[in-house]
Amino acid sequence: MAAADSPSAALRRRDLCSRGIRLAGKMRADVVDLLDAYVEQQGLDASASVAAVEGVPLAAVERWDEQTGTQRLLENLAAYRAFRALLAQMLEEQREQLGEADAGLGRALAAVLLQVSAFAYHLEELLRLESRGIPGEEEDGPPPPPRLSRFEQKLRGLGVLRELAHWAVRSERQLAKPSPASGAAPGLAESP
Amino acid sequence: MNVAVFRSMAPVFPKMASPVRSACCVVLAAVVVVYAQRHSQQDSHVQYERVGADVTMKCGSMDWDAAVTWTANGTDIDESHLNGSYLILKNVGLSQSGQYFCYEGSSWHLKYQTNLRVGTPPKEPVLMCRSNNYPKGFYCSWHLPTPTYIPNFFNISVIHGTKDMVCEKDSPPKNRCHIKYLQLFSTVKYKVTLTVTNALGKNFTTLTFDEFAIVKPDPPESVVAKPVPNNPRRLEVSWQNPSSWPDPESFPLKFFLRYRPLILDQWQHVELSDGTSHTITDAYAGKEYIIQVAAKDSDIGTWSDWSVAVHATPWTEEPKHLTTEAQITETTSVSTSSFMAPPTTKICDKGAMVGSGAMAVCWTAGLVVAAYSVLFI
Repeated sequence: MAAADSPSAALRRRDLCSRGIRLAGKMRADVVDLLDAYVEQQGLDASASVAAVEGVPLAAVERWDEQTGTQRLLENLAAYRAFRALLAQMLEEQREQLGEADAGLGRALAAVLLQVSAFAYHLEELLRLESRGIPGEEEDGPPPPPRLSRFEQKLRGLGVLRELAHWAVRSERQLAKPSPASGAAPGLAESP
Repeated sequence: MNVAVFRSMAPVFPKMASPVRSACCVVLAAVVVVYAQRHSQQDSHVQYERVGADVTMKCGSMDWDAAVTWTANGTDIDESHLNGSYLILKNVGLSQSGQYFCYEGSSWHLKYQTNLRVGTPPKEPVLMCRSNNYPKGFYCSWHLPTPTYIPNFFNISVIHGTKDMVCEKDSPPKNRCHIKYLQLFSTVKYKVTLTVTNALGKNFTTLTFDEFAIVKPDPPESVVAKPVPNNPRRLEVSWQNPSSWPDPESFPLKFFLRYRPLILDQWQHVELSDGTSHTITDAYAGKEYIIQVAAKDSDIGTWSDWSVAVHATPWTEEPKHLTTEAQITETTSVSTSSFMAPPTTKICDKGAMVGSGAMAVCWTAGLVVAAYSVLFI
């Protein structure tokens, strides 16, 4: 593996960041479309407030630009791994409840799940470039969810998609933002 | 007031003879004493009443049957408005605001004074919140849809989840305040409540919004449009990010450019995902254009207002000096080289021509135009 600060590693990092930014942007656009479809097909009120659900990573962050590059990558990776599991669960629930009646929503969910998986992999690649160990998935996986009613499942799904849409914006901006000079890890998206 | 009068008068008398000065001081003192006496027994306050209300004013502690004189803004009030010593104002209007005095009949002692302010309770205020400097924070501004004509007091509260946030008021204007983001990318909505109170009533309005929804940059700045030399159909447009947008590197803006010739109403639009310049390549030659640019965060929020409009005309070649007689007879409409008369241009309308002589003139004109076109290819 190339040293974290070698020119080739810097180029690779820059390339991964640029692609990551584009991936996050596309993911966000698709999640927003999915959110609109989800709200409509589940009969929900788009403006409804949803309480924070256990296991759904919150996008909100204080002093977002003061985190080191590595901290950002690790938090992002943990979040997208959690979303991967949550979306898989939503897809399963969707199939159980609606069968083929809502194939369009199912396909859209599956497409976003694929993007989330791809982005998580992307983040792992960036972490490898930083010569950082990739945390094991079992550490990040959400706890088994309690059995929820159908309506509670719908609300949780709304909360998951809303947080994911905000995470996508956060990830895009954090990949673009150079980390503070005092951070241990080199900044992301730096010029070689 | 007494001291102020004397102090203000001092510069007037610096060089007067002392007996004259003494006499003036005595007169002034008398005036002050009378004034103090007249106002020593008064009640003085501000009284707020609604437009259309019926107002009854009592002359302080005077009995109903006491002889009194009421004045409003220095003018005696007609007795028809009196019920005994009470002043009755029916269906008050804004023009009846002012200073009201009540004097005891014979002594002209001032018995009562009030500043009547006629107004209305506040209607629901109009509140707007916007982030033009994301991710630093946002501001809220407000106004009343109709004036109340009396003083109003505004109180704003901002809640994010369960947390109260401080909205720092601008000193001018007073109807705006700023909030700094403590968190970013939050899905928890903000709730802003504005309450307006005056002496006649109270009203409020509430806004609830998502952090991303209120993001709206200021328009792009320093928009410049220039012709491109030797390109009669191009205009080069450039602009800058709004100076209020604090971090365009992490929060890049995209832009929307619109342009049209002044002679047409329909705009053409171009959306640009990056960069702060664009070359228009389909401008009509020789026509003056109006151009504007708007900005938006690349992912969130809404478009800015349009920038200040700029005008530009594409490059045209300087008209060359015509030396031959045939060239002198050419019409002025072909004086610019950007216009190339196509070979099929109708100079002559056969329907308008009468007789063979007219046809000969037509052919001559056609030859002249063809010669001119060849010269300028």
